[in-house]
Amino acid sequence: MTVPFVTVTVEPEEFRFVAFDSALIRKIGESYVASLRIDRPVRIRVDETTPLGRIRAEIGDTIEVTVESGAFENAKQPRQQSEVATNINLGRILLRVSDRLHGGFAETPLDDDMSLPQMAAWETYCAGRLTRMGLRINKQRWLYNFRNRHGFTDVADAAFETLWSADNLTWSELDTISSNATLNAVPS
Amino acid sequence: MRKFFPVEDLARDSRFTQINMRQAEADPRTALVGPNAGKRAKVNRLTPSRPDASEAARNLMHGIFVGEIQALEGAGRTCHDFELPDSKDPLSTDTVPFALKLDMARQAWDESRHVEISVKLGEWMGAEIGQFAENTILFEAACSNDPVMRLAGVNRALEGLAIDVFTTMKEFGEVAGDPFLEFCEDWMLADEVTHVKMGSDWLRKVTENDPERRKKALEFQSIVDRLFSFGGARSESDDSPIGLARRFRELAGFTTDEVDEIADVSLAALEARKAFSAAAMASAE
Repeated sequence: MTVPFVTVTVEPEEFRFVAFDSALIRKIGESYVASLRIDRPVRIRVDETTPLGRIRAEIGDTIEVTVESGAFENAKQPRQQSEVATNINLGRILLRVSDRLHGGFAETPLDDDMSLPQMAAWETYCAGRLTRMGLRINKQRWLYNFRNRHGFTDVADAAFETLWSADNLTWSELDTISSNATLNAVPS
Repeated sequence: MRKFFPVEDLARDSRFTQINMRQAEADPRTALVGPNAGKRAKVNRLTPSRPDASEAARNLMHGIFVGEIQALEGAGRTCHDFELPDSKDPLSTDTVPFALKLDMARQAWDESRHVEISVKLGEWMGAEIGQFAENTILFEAACSNDPVMRLAGVNRALEGLAIDVFTTMKEFGEVAGDPFLEFCEDWMLADEVTHVKMGSDWLRKVTENDPERRKKALEFQSIVDRLFSFGGARSESDDSPIGLARRFRELAGFTTDEVDEIADVSLAALEARKAFSAAAMASAE
């Protein structure tokens, strides 16, 4: 199947508060757009006024990705860009976009309406796939996030492993795993 | 062995990257003002309900870890850097009683245990040693040539901040149901209260007959408290991730007036931070 050429734009092109490289962000974005078969333009807006690290996406004719600058930052060197962090965090959000675009996720709530456990489950599913795409991801980081949202239990840990190693889940399957982890929690 | 060790010479391996307070304060970014500030949560306190709670807690845990290293180094230096009093010069300001050295040695022992606990908690939370920049302000407060200044800067300001941080993290672990975090923070908190109490007691005792020296030390503590508010990261405002632990501070020997003053200083630091960021954003438009 031929994938149409899709443009990726980055705003701002030049940064004032952080030393980020918009060309690098665009290049990484284009790489994901091609590998995830995203079929429409992507605009990445970096909010450089905050050091927080939230990322979000809205899907329309153009995919609008909003990134707080902490998401692309080198935590060792404040205000400098980390290519690794840019890769991981752009990958996380574009995998979620890809899930929504490619079926099985039609009934997924909007990001703002999603519960913290649902988001943690989806993030785990994304992080596991990024690992298999070759990125070095700290698994314990995502396990801790999952436990914070589902409980520090053996049931939650088992659900985490299921999500981490999965490749073709639907939203319904993912949501069921998350719900069961919380409902059937047995303290370890 | 060398005395009065400068901050630039602290021993760190290649995993660590150090920044100073000037570099940290030069960052104009903040979550509290700017074009998108209104879209963010109204409460900035570090609780599990924050969407970024895990990441923020991991970052703070790394800050605790490097803070414990610097507290260990500071207490160890104070134990070693000063001689015992000379009976011919009882008003000397560069000597310390033997019992004070013993307290500093005990504190160094406590801090080394805290470093080990913090490393394990960091691993548990998914952090890596050196993952975040190390701000060296804590050790810098421990470099004064006057031991009383060190008591004010390290035991009362630094360890006082530790009380606030550990209380925040303990509550975080309690609400999240983290079985290790709450337990470990509670135990370390008990040590920190003792360290602050030691500082408060020694500060009063050593300056008993020298009100001017005590006044200078308390002024120094106020300056350090402002710096340790990290531009408003610690205050009683909901805008600050870390709260002010009044009850534990009282247990540690702070009077209500002293805690009120720290609250005011912290709030002023928060407002100054907001004003700095707003001005930086306005000038960039």
